[in-house]
Parts: sequence; structure tokens; C-alpha cells
Amino acid sequence: MSRTLYTIATILAVAVGLSACKTDPNSPGVEYMPDMYRSPALEAYVDYGTNDYMDFTQSMKDKAGFVPVQSRKPAPGTIPYVGAEMAPFVMPYPLKNTPDDYERAATEIKSPLLSTREHIEKGREVYTKMCLHCHGEAGHGDGLISTKGAIAGIPDYATKLKDLPEGKIFHSITYGKGLMGQHASLINKLQRWQVTEWVKCLQQGITDPKFDENGMLIKPAAAPAEATTAASR
Amino acid sequence: MKRLSERFLPRFILSTALFICFSLTTWASIHEGGDVVKGKQLFNANCASCHKITDEVLAAPGLKGIDQRWKGKDELLIKWIQNPKAAAATGDPYVKSLVEKYVATYGWMANQAVSAEEIGHILTYVKEGDGGSAPVAEENTCLTYEEMQAAAGQGKENDGLIWIIIIGVILAIIGVSAANISRSLKNAMNERDGKPIDESAGYWESAKAWMWRHKVFVSLTGLFIFCYLVVGLYGALMDIGVYEAYKPEQPIWFSHASHVCKYEIDCQYCHSAAAESKHAGIPSANVCMNCHKGIKEGPVSGKKEIAKIYEAIGFDPATGTYIENYEQKPIEWNKVHNLPDHVYFNHSQHVTVAGLDCKQCHGPVQTYSVGRQATVEEINAQDDVPGLIKLTKPTLTMGWCIECHNKAEVDLASSAYYEEMHNRFTSNELGQRFLRSYLEENLKKGDGAPVDSLKTILSVKQLGGWECGKCHY
Repeated sequence: MSRTLYTIATILAVAVGLSACKTDPNSPGVEYMPDMYRSPALEAYVDYGTNDYMDFTQSMKDKAGFVPVQSRKPAPGTIPYVGAEMAPFVMPYPLKNTPDDYERAATEIKSPLLSTREHIEKGREVYTKMCLHCHGEAGHGDGLISTKGAIAGIPDYATKLKDLPEGKIFHSITYGKGLMGQHASLINKLQRWQVTEWVKCLQQGITDPKFDENGMLIKPAAAPAEATTAASR
Repeated sequence: MKRLSERFLPRFILSTALFICFSLTTWASIHEGGDVVKGKQLFNANCASCHKITDEVLAAPGLKGIDQRWKGKDELLIKWIQNPKAAAATGDPYVKSLVEKYVATYGWMANQAVSAEEIGHILTYVKEGDGGSAPVAEENTCLTYEEMQAAAGQGKENDGLIWIIIIGVILAIIGVSAANISRSLKNAMNERDGKPIDESAGYWESAKAWMWRHKVFVSLTGLFIFCYLVVGLYGALMDIGVYEAYKPEQPIWFSHASHVCKYEIDCQYCHSAAAESKHAGIPSANVCMNCHKGIKEGPVSGKKEIAKIYEAIGFDPATGTYIENYEQKPIEWNKVHNLPDHVYFNHSQHVTVAGLDCKQCHGPVQTYSVGRQATVEEINAQDDVPGLIKLTKPTLTMGWCIECHNKAEVDLASSAYYEEMHNRFTSNELGQRFLRSYLEENLKKGDGAPVDSLKTILSVKQLGGWECGKCHY
């Protein structure tokens, strides 16, 4: 008799044990050595106490006093250390996100980059990742977000924004303009200037840039003055 | 007299006609009489990035009711559109109030290169709308993984049957035991009362006897069940630490299908850290706002899910502005891809240096709704990834990692990273000696020929991709 009861108990235990594995979609499954999954040192994107499954033991939490930390910004004015070559591109941007400073950007902010092959190709790469879905491949404001009707009226670089100065382009990428949001948290200052170089090409309708033997952009004959200033900068 | 009338009548008629024409043009405001279709085109090209024709605020106030607000000030309105600052300089009190109310929040509008006639078309469109033409229902070509599974009729995994069998067996055992117990109790009572005892074999005994009579069948069935359980147990044990198809609920029902498949937003737009950091990065709410400042309603879940972003970052969709001094709340996403703490993985090494497609490890993300850990079968089934390396082990297991490190080939010549490594080696004598001996002794391609130049394709393993310390330290 007792053997029968044991059998029942065992089967029930196995059934309960099995059912604990897979029924909850929020459970990732069984971990081997769970303590090996938990870093005592703080790691980014590790949940320190909000998810029941991805959790530290209560005693560990109490010891460290963890609270959910996400979306924290660095302290204002933080300058990242990323090596000497990047030094000109990590200093804080002097202008504020105000209409007046947007106008000031036109005259006060100048590109520190030359229109070289390296920067323009990099800029094109970043543009493809960051801008293309709205502004379109050739900058006509015909990205899929625009053509599928989610956001209308994205201006064309080659017509409406043809004479937008590079300072304003940079300012707009940094802080956003109108419906466009700020992209300073996504791409660093060097990349923003590189994108600006590529947008300057698109303003002149150059989608297949040509470079001279020094790797400098060959501008169309219509704007020779611009070319000399860029080269002398 | 006659001569006089002859002289003056034509002039009189002409001037009257001119007067009537002139007064007609002043009476007809620029808010009507334009071409709605042209107006819509012009509006979408010039105004729609900031204004809506309803009273909804986009990046600037909505234009509904503009004909009432600007009644009788057509000249000024044209000026205000063509050159807002010049219009403000006229000192008109209404323009002044607009400047005070809106410019600090939304900034100056850029000078719009539209003629007075075009403004007429636009304002007619603003006033009359486009007659409520229904949006054309677009065929949804971006199905999610779940929808595709449902369409293929595979729905959810049918694991109900095994539970019915298990529960049935348990109930049968309980029933048999209960019958046995009741019989024993009855026999005990009968024994006490001196009544005859039921001596016939119990259910268990009869079952045993039956099994003994059919021992070949029973032993074969028993063997089958035993093997089944062993295989099941083995599978269960092998599943420990394997999280394929893990898809936790997320605080926001974010659909990768509509963002990646429909709008083809690059993975690295949101996960921008993948190119230069260990982590791919979860976008902070301000990245969502880069589009959702304008897109306030989704096709699937309406305003409900997008409102959660606004709640987190403190954005007021009614005015299109951020709430000042708002205490922002974190969006508590659940992590989908978990590696143990003792494994080091770096995204930038794989994305920037190796130039891998995200889909090589993350599968057909454009078909997922909320984030999901791809299974190796899904990854192998993709046909839109050039140079896809097909693997066999479950994703995010060590077998999977080292299998790929064995198969993946590194083109040293085209990688600036390895060129830099090579330059560092060759810049000093010790490095040169080490490099030469390493190349001569260790690196032999399949035909046994020594590798002597950078113009060689090596596997990651040959470059030390199987060294324990590469990932475990």
C-alpha cells in the first residue's frame, strides 16, 4: 500500500517538476549554476531587481542596495576620454537648443573637416544607418517613413535646403529641428560632421562623389569659390 | 453733350469693371477658391513636416481655423508665411501675440518659398481638407513570426496531449488504489464482524497475473516507455542553459516587424552602440522620440503603446512639447539574450571588425514582434543574408559560438583591424620574430602549405578564436 502511495507521490512530483519548466513564457528556462549568471560587479543591462526571474537573491540585493537604474545620462559637461585624435570632437558644443542659437550656428559653427574621401564616405555610411529611413537615399525626403505616410513633408536637401549652411546642418543633427529629434546621443561629433559633409554633397545633387588625387572632393563647376574655401580651411 | 458721353462712357465702363473686379478680389479671401489637390501637394511638400490641418500640434500649432483667426488680413498672412520676421516687424498686434506665444517653444518658421497664388491653394486645402478621402488599405507584407506560424497552421506547440495522458494515468492509479483501500477496509470490517472475507485476488494481484501472462508484450511496452523517459530526461537535461525562442513579455509591445520590415530602419539606428561597444544597447526613450514625436498612433495598438514612451520621457502629445522638470521613468525592458557572467562577448568586435550581419546571430528579427531569441533553425533558414554561416548547435550556447569561430573566415587583407594588429607586430624586432615563427609553425592551410602573407583567409580559430581566454577571463 505505501509503495503505491510513493508511486503516486513520485509521479505527481515529476509532473509538477516538468510543468515548472516551460509553461511561463517569461521564464528563460533552467540555468546551470545560477550564480555563474549573476555578476557581482555591476554590468550594463543586467536587471538588478525588477524581474522575478532575472533576479538576485534578496540577501545580495539588500547588501548592494540595488535599485533599478536605467536611462541615466552622464553628468553635464562630461568629456569622454577617447584618445588624442578624437580630442577636437569631444568638447561640449557651445550653442544651446534655442531659436537664436540656431541662427547663430549659421555663421559661428564651421566644419573642422575637409571634404575628403575618407570623411565623405564615412559620412555616407553613417547617413545610411541614421538618416536614410526618413531623408531617403539621395536626400529628397523620400525615405520609407515619408513615402509610407508616417511623417510627411521631409524637406529635400537639393531644393528646399540647398543653401542651408553647414553650421545649421550640424546644429539640427545635434539638437533636432522641427519634427526631427536630436541625434547627439546616437552619433558622436566627428560622425555628425562627417554626415554634414555628405549632406553638403547631397545639397549639390552629388550622389556619386568623385575625388581628385589628394582625396579631395571634386565639386561641380557651378561653385568653384566654395571649393577653394573648403580646401584652405 | 453727345461728344462728352461718347468720350466718357467707355472710361466709365472700364473703371466700373475694374472697380468690380478689384472689389471681388478683396471680398474673396485667399482661404477659398484655390485648388485643393494642388494645395495638398504643396502642403505636404512645404508645411506637413511641422503643421497639420487639424488642431493637432505636430512640431508647430495646427492650422485648423486659420481662416477665422486671420480674417481680413490676407496680405499680412502671405507675408507671415513668406517671411515671418518681416511680418512680425509690421507691429500687428495679432502677429505679436503669436510670436510671444509660440516662437520660444517652436522657434521661427523658415521663410517659405511659395507664391501668393500657391498660398491660396494651400489655405483652401487647410480650410476644406481633402474631402475625407479614405486612406487606401495597404496589404500588410510585414507579417510577424506569430502571424506566419498561424497562417502555416502550426499555431502553438501542441503539448496538451501528453498532459492528458499523464493526468489519465494518475487518475487511473488513484482509482485503483482507492478501490484496493476500500476492499481492504471492507475485509477488515468483515473479519471483525466474523463475516466471510473476499479472498479473490485484488486488482493489483490480478494486474500482476495479467502482466505475467503477457510478459512479452508488457516487457516490450515497458522497455519502450523506459527508453522514452530516458530520452525525455536527456532532452530536458540538455535544455538546461539553452534559451532558444525565449520571448519574455516587455513593458511596451514593440514590434520589430513594423519598424524593420515596413520602414527598413537600420538595426544600428536604435541599437547604435553595437558598432563601438560591448553591448548593442537598448535605445533610450529619446531615440524613440526621434520618430514618435510626430507618429502618435500606431497601426496595431493605436495610441496605447506609444503613450508609454510619452509617459516615460515626459512628453505632452497635445502640445507637442516636453514637460519641464518631469521626473523621467525608466522603461523596464526585460533582457532577452542572456550570457552567463563568465562569458565575455563584445558586439563591436563582431559588427565593426568582423562585419557580420546582425541576422547571422539574431535571425529574422524583421519578422519578430517583441524581441525573441532566434533558434538556430530560423537562422539557417534565412535566404537574404549574404555569406550566412550555417550552424547546428542551439543559439547562445558555447557549442554554437565555437562552431562559428571554426567555420567563419577572416579576410585579413580587407580588415583594417588586422592590418593594424600586423603593423603593431612588425613594428619591433621581437614582434617580427614572433610573427614569423607563428606563421611558419602554426598556420597551415588545408593543403599543409605554410601561410606567409596577409593575403590569406584564415578561420577565427586559427587566429586564436578557440583560446579559452578570449571569452573566459
